Amino acid sequence: MKRISIDPITRLEGHGKIDIFLNDEGEVANAYLQVPELRGFEQFCVGRLAEDMPNITNRICGVCPEAHHMASTKALDALFHVDPPPTAKKLRELFYSIFYATDHTTHFYALGGPDFVMGPDAPVAERNILGVIEKVGMDIAGKVLKMRRDGHHLIKMIGGRPVHPNWGLPGGVSRGITEEQRAEIETLGEDAVEFAKFSLQLFNDIVLGNTDYVDLITNEAFIHRTYNMGTVDENNHVNFYDGKIRIVGPDGVEFAKYDARDYQEYVAEHVEPWSYLKFPYLKQIGWKGFEDGVDSGVYKATPLSRLNAADGMATPLAQEEFERMYDTLGGRPVDHTLATHWARLVELLYAAERWVELATDPEITGDEFRVLPTETPTEGVGCVEAPRGTLTHHYWSDERGVLTKVNLIVGTTNNNAAINMSVKSAAEGLITKGVEIKEGLLNTIEMAYRAYDPCMACATHTLPGQMPLEVTIRTPDGEVLERFSQHLE
Amino acid sequence: MMAAGWPKMTMRTIVIGLGNPLLRDDSVGLRVAQSLRPLLEADKNIVVEEDYWGGLRLMEQMVGFDRAVIIDAICTAQERPGTVMRLEPNGIPTQRSASAHDVNLPTALALGRQAGAHLPPDENILLIGIEADDVLTFDENLTPAVESAIHIAVETVLDALSTKNASP
Repeated sequence: MKRISIDPITRLEGHGKIDIFLNDEGEVANAYLQVPELRGFEQFCVGRLAEDMPNITNRICGVCPEAHHMASTKALDALFHVDPPPTAKKLRELFYSIFYATDHTTHFYALGGPDFVMGPDAPVAERNILGVIEKVGMDIAGKVLKMRRDGHHLIKMIGGRPVHPNWGLPGGVSRGITEEQRAEIETLGEDAVEFAKFSLQLFNDIVLGNTDYVDLITNEAFIHRTYNMGTVDENNHVNFYDGKIRIVGPDGVEFAKYDARDYQEYVAEHVEPWSYLKFPYLKQIGWKGFEDGVDSGVYKATPLSRLNAADGMATPLAQEEFERMYDTLGGRPVDHTLATHWARLVELLYAAERWVELATDPEITGDEFRVLPTETPTEGVGCVEAPRGTLTHHYWSDERGVLTKVNLIVGTTNNNAAINMSVKSAAEGLITKGVEIKEGLLNTIEMAYRAYDPCMACATHTLPGQMPLEVTIRTPDGEVLERFSQHLE
Repeated sequence: MMAAGWPKMTMRTIVIGLGNPLLRDDSVGLRVAQSLRPLLEADKNIVVEEDYWGGLRLMEQMVGFDRAVIIDAICTAQERPGTVMRLEPNGIPTQRSASAHDVNLPTALALGRQAGAHLPPDENILLIGIEADDVLTFDENLTPAVESAIHIAVETVLDALSTKNASP
């Protein structure tokens, strides 16, 4: 039995493991994704001052610290019973839109994109961002790096620090922006819109122009008809920063729409003996196992889910792309896991357009960006759409604001059941009796999993976003038949 | 590409401590950087940073520098906790230094160079790994063996910065 060593750098230590069990006929009986457990998060937080949480939780994970910062700041608004002024809300959403555009760019070009641009069967050595550049042209490297550089520059400028902002406060933010800063944000936002349009054109030309890739997207092994969760504004349009949580069924019918603070009435968590990570499900339907359909409480919270859970996009160009995606894939909802990459690009365009809209809002440079809390703190829920799914922070405190309990449901955790189902059906589609199990199998299974952009880092309340992957194939009695390890590069 | 024969004083160097400050031994890279900062602040050609990310962001941090030293916790499970190791970017035992959200360092460096960024050549990038004991518990304190390795790592970095020029 061959054991492949884990990358030695801690940044890379969070080690994902997929176990595939075969039945007596040599076909897939079950597939499990397992992640390491991180210990002591709640104990770490309890007894601390609630207002420290935006600066603690943004260090849970290096992948989306801005999302934790924002959910945590919103939880403090609720905990201290304070409503931020309009300028503060707009600044927060502006900041968040910039973060989104930056994050989605990285995922598409560094991770999801290579599978499509290079093709799923391309040699491992070429199936990376360098391969994309080779195929698409050199200037794309500069475009991707500029998009990231601009995003990080503005996040630092607005949020106070690179990566881990220290800006959000209960009732608002610690400082506003000047006219000069606003003008720069607007200019770079216009560049971001152009970049997003370019990215969708690239997807159109390379992926949609290739029938093999379209066949892959529409392959039954990559389809799961589950409920979809996302945050919507008052027009039922996608919103990343605020709104109501909406859940739409696999039949396209609205199942629920609620305030984030009521999440416990709608979402419960199932525990499996083989996983540290819980499996959230829709409480009113119940946990029926890893099953599709309207009778199963499994839901997804991904870029594609957000589009499925909404009636449209709040900005004009993103709305056009939204309609084009659904027209191409045969109406709503779309349940093709691999279309998540397409949805992510539609969201990239929306984030960029929203960035410019907010940068040109007359209130954005206002100087009323904080209301001081005066009420006694009690309990508060804060929720945003993290790039990887709906992110909920829930804090309880005593009258001094000292935390007595915390609960987080992070983006990827929402998708835990669906990821396992996707991995299993991808494996089922590939492993049948008598078929030799090869390396290429791994990438196709990975593609199912990568579409979710899973971040096991904070899903287990764990390390900065790393996920080397190992796949083990076992007989019914657990004997190891094959073991593969992921080579992302 | 920068010339190996540049005068030492003009070689712009970045020292980056990586880690998560909340996850016990994972913070050791940050702690080493904090110890190094006062020792190196007199040298205006050396910048000491603390950061969190590998991959693309780590590469982006190195843009504009001629030389880089990166300090991070490491989990080989083969060395005793607190062991200090010197590695080079291509000398990492596997190339899977990619996160599911990022690319590995050699790929990131290649990307940056293709985009025309000024980056240290591979031979001027030194990785210092410190074997961790526990990186899975939320705690701001290091385990004793790793705590006691800080000064060794500091000496290792100072030695690399002073004894070698083009090739640390």
